[in-house]
Amino acid sequence: MKAVFITYNQSIADEVQEVLYNCSIRGFTKWTEIMGKGTNNGNPHEGTHTWPELNNAHLTIINDDQVLPLMIKLKELNDQVEEQGLRAFVWNIESSI
Amino acid sequence: MSIYSTAVKKPISTIMITIGVLIFGIYSYLQLPVDYYPKIEAPIISVFTYYAGASAEDVEKNLTRKLEEGFGSLSNLKKITSTSRENLSVIMLQFEWGANLDESINEVRNAIGMVRDLPADAETPTILKLSTNMLPVIMYSITAEESYEGLKDIIDKKFIQPLNRVEGVGNIMEMGAPERAIMVNVDPNKLDAYGLTIEKLGAILTANNINIPSGNLKLGKSDIPLRVEGEFSSSEVVRNIVVSNTNGKTVYLKDIATVKDSLKEIDSHERANGEKNVRIMIQKQSDANTVTVAEKIKEEVEKIKKTLPPDVKVNALMDASLTVQASISNLSETLLYALIFVVLIVMLFLSRGRATFIISLSIPVSLITGFIYIYLTGGTINIISLSSLSIAIGLVVDDSIVVLENISKKLERGGFARESAIYGTSEVSLAVIASTLTIIAVFLPLTMLGGMTGILFRPLGWIVTISVAASVIVSMTLVPALSAKMLKFKDPSRKSLGGKLYWFSQGLLGKMDNFYSKLLTWAVGHRWTVIIIGTVIFISSLFLTKIIGSEFMPATDNDRISGQVKLAQGTTFEETVKVADYLDSVLQAKYPEIVTVSSSTGAGDANSIVAIFTETGNYIINYTFRMKPVAEREKSIFKIAEEIRTDIKKLPEVEKFYVDAGSSRASSMMGAGGGNNLEVKIFGNDFNETSVIAEKISNSMKEIQGIKDVLISRDKDKTEMQLTLDNEKMTSFGLTTATVAKAIRYCITGLTATKYREEGNEYDIIVRYDDKYRHSTDNIENISITTPAGKVVKLKEISTLKTSYAPPIIERENKVRLVKVTAALSGTDIGTAKSALEEKIKAMDIPSGVTVDFGGSAEDMKEAFKNLALLLLLAVILVYIVMASQFESLTEPFIIMFSIPFAFTGVLLGLLILGSTINLISMIGTIMLIGIVVKNGIILVDYTNLQVDRGLSLKQAVITAGRSRLRPVVMTSLTMILAMIPMIFSSGSGSETWKPMGIAIFFGLTFSTLVTLILIPTIYTIFGVGKIKRARKKTIKSSK
Repeated sequence: MKAVFITYNQSIADEVQEVLYNCSIRGFTKWTEIMGKGTNNGNPHEGTHTWPELNNAHLTIINDDQVLPLMIKLKELNDQVEEQGLRAFVWNIESSI
Repeated sequence: MSIYSTAVKKPISTIMITIGVLIFGIYSYLQLPVDYYPKIEAPIISVFTYYAGASAEDVEKNLTRKLEEGFGSLSNLKKITSTSRENLSVIMLQFEWGANLDESINEVRNAIGMVRDLPADAETPTILKLSTNMLPVIMYSITAEESYEGLKDIIDKKFIQPLNRVEGVGNIMEMGAPERAIMVNVDPNKLDAYGLTIEKLGAILTANNINIPSGNLKLGKSDIPLRVEGEFSSSEVVRNIVVSNTNGKTVYLKDIATVKDSLKEIDSHERANGEKNVRIMIQKQSDANTVTVAEKIKEEVEKIKKTLPPDVKVNALMDASLTVQASISNLSETLLYALIFVVLIVMLFLSRGRATFIISLSIPVSLITGFIYIYLTGGTINIISLSSLSIAIGLVVDDSIVVLENISKKLERGGFARESAIYGTSEVSLAVIASTLTIIAVFLPLTMLGGMTGILFRPLGWIVTISVAASVIVSMTLVPALSAKMLKFKDPSRKSLGGKLYWFSQGLLGKMDNFYSKLLTWAVGHRWTVIIIGTVIFISSLFLTKIIGSEFMPATDNDRISGQVKLAQGTTFEETVKVADYLDSVLQAKYPEIVTVSSSTGAGDANSIVAIFTETGNYIINYTFRMKPVAEREKSIFKIAEEIRTDIKKLPEVEKFYVDAGSSRASSMMGAGGGNNLEVKIFGNDFNETSVIAEKISNSMKEIQGIKDVLISRDKDKTEMQLTLDNEKMTSFGLTTATVAKAIRYCITGLTATKYREEGNEYDIIVRYDDKYRHSTDNIENISITTPAGKVVKLKEISTLKTSYAPPIIERENKVRLVKVTAALSGTDIGTAKSALEEKIKAMDIPSGVTVDFGGSAEDMKEAFKNLALLLLLAVILVYIVMASQFESLTEPFIIMFSIPFAFTGVLLGLLILGSTINLISMIGTIMLIGIVVKNGIILVDYTNLQVDRGLSLKQAVITAGRSRLRPVVMTSLTMILAMIPMIFSSGSGSETWKPMGIAIFFGLTFSTLVTLILIPTIYTIFGVGKIKRARKKTIKSSK
């Protein structure tokens, strides 16, 4: 089991949701309208008058074999709309109930 | 969820709601009646009282003064003016605007009830509420040849009766109709010989002309009423009436008098284009609509024309609905052109069909809410509401432009349609709302204006506020919803026509961007030079106020000229008629522009309402000219009026005259304002003193260039023949003044003895001395009066006849007598003329009991300008408040407000270049500008702040922001500026009124936009540097 944390500009929310659906991922936790800033470049997403954009985030816990197709699809999406600042991070799940 | 995301996610609901609003709007529009002005109820109540036989001084002393005293305590009363003239006292009570007139009428009625000891001979005072409704809707002139004698009957039966039944028709007045009467002209010598008097004759005639029910007759089983039918069966019968049986000899009326069945002798001469005519004035009911009523009347008149004898011709002398329709269609055209210009600008800047479509769609949706407002408040489509829409048209697109621009930028960066629409709107929502609030901050106070200005500009304030508010909603719902569905961003091909246009305009705009950013870089580098140049431009522009004239309201060419010609006092009616006929023919032949010349000479029926509004008399000719519509002639009414003046001046008989282009005298009397006249009021109770000053002022007015028609309201003293009765002798004969006066009146004016009835109509039978016995003092002195004892006395035995002088008219204002010197202006403006005259008046030696004051347009102007100055201040403060709270800063709004003074500079330049004046309309335009010009500043400063916050250096931020905001600033300004062009260059009917506003906004906004683009960034850097220095000091302090 792996955890995948995806953050992205909320303007591509529907597209991210579609990627999850296409990868047959049913379960996730989602945060909407959260702030974020890239490490190297890109505009901050702060929801202020200066930086009006905001992020959404998905946390989904999936089987190991599902991770790769998901990451590939997310990379495809990010390549299409680089400025939206899509990021995904994967880590292990120790246990679950 | 925010309103825009809901709208984007539910496009069908959004579109359906929009269609719903559109349908309601179109329905409202179709229901709306058309009128010239919004309903104006001038707060004026007039009280007039007839006092037959009293001279002006008597009327003043016994009636006017007593009534005026009684009215002193009325609530909300602003001004009392009164005119006392022979037989009539007219008091005008002017209340504060907004006073409840129904209550006031009751108070006036009570006040009259409280006034004691009014002369017994005076009639009960009549109270009349004046309003613009009293101005006739249509005026007809009816001419006839063979049927002239019977014209009154024809008019009454076939014209007035059917018209009275037309819905919405109020009063119909007829002037100059020949009245049939049976004239019994008596030979006084024969009368004396048979021991008869006029009164006795009258009594005999009355006694012979009656029907008396004489009881019931029982005939068998029936009960039948019995009547004695003694009424004259034909006018022939009258002459064979037996008037006396002296010494057994029967005397018939025909033996002592000539009996003529003819026309009543009236001292009134009505001509239209030189033909005998009767004028019919039709007023509408107060709540009826001018255009609808006029349409119905015209329809009815067309039907009536067919039933009239062939020689009876009906011509419209004046038709208020034509002016209304012409101005409305002219304004609608203006509105259409404005729409086209706005769409063209959007097309040029965006060069994308779909984007242009979305923005263009937001215009009708926002504007139509204006119609819904008018409909719900029971208003009309009038020149004010249509002009408001022309102004709104340039403003309602702004919000949509800003929103759409941001959405398309997001789309260009590769966003998805729906999200770009939502977040694109969200980002600018605050700026859009704030800049709309500044517009509202300026227009909303207009709704609080009082007085005449309030009536005119309250609808404007509401309509612009409502449609601009609607435009924000549209820009946050419909625009994102449609953008999400329709916008596609793909560079158009360079081959198609649309593509060529796109690349061409983008190239052009790119050049503009580059040029601007170079200019801005230079300006930021030379801050102080820029600021000094700006200050010099503004301060030197203030001197233009000295050159530009000022007036109250621009005069309009409404196809009408009226005029009055006075011959010397005491000129006989017949002589005046000769002059009138001559002038008629001269003017008619000389001016092809004139459709109808209608003249009215003589006193006519002194007791009609008409007599209150126009001064009439045997030596006075009143003129009304109707011109061809503006489009069909080259000369303006002002030029024609000027030429007519020179024509009249050539006549040596004429003593005084005025020619009033646009008939502004009549409308200003109704409290409707407008027109340009100079009026100087000279207060003082001493007739001689005030007359002398009036004469002096009138002379110095004549010296001032551009002042025409200088008139002194008080005519020269009137010559009177005065009979002084010897009381002692009179009482010894048992006579009273009343009986003597009555006897004299019967002999000269005549006694209406009884009425002759024919076919349901009644005609007066008038007995008086034959014409040849009424024209010398001898005849008067020989009038016989029967004493109660039956003895006959000659008038000369009890009285002496002498000539004396009396003022024909006494005017008062606020209980003090005054003389008015009035003048029309042509080729100058009130401001200039007034200050020139003030100089001259200062040099005069004015006695202590006399005060001199300005009235008329100058008075209105002073009051309105004072209100507007306050409004301007209020607008500035409100705009500052709105901006300060939006920016959460005190300095930034201050920086933005630097664009306001340059708007004023632009306005002044525009007025100077196009030869317009500072007036009510251009001032309102200037006030509007305050809200409009700061919009540019807001867009600029807001974005510069953003850049600074995003970490750019001050100069960089200013230049980047400037370059990136140049297009939206220029685009939103251009839509407004170009929307004004049709207003400025339209030459249709009534266009003069709105021209100054167009000029003010056009030049003010252009100039201010140009200056704002350079000056505001420069000032921003100065303030910004200060801010940064302060912040640095703070950090240094805190680190220590």
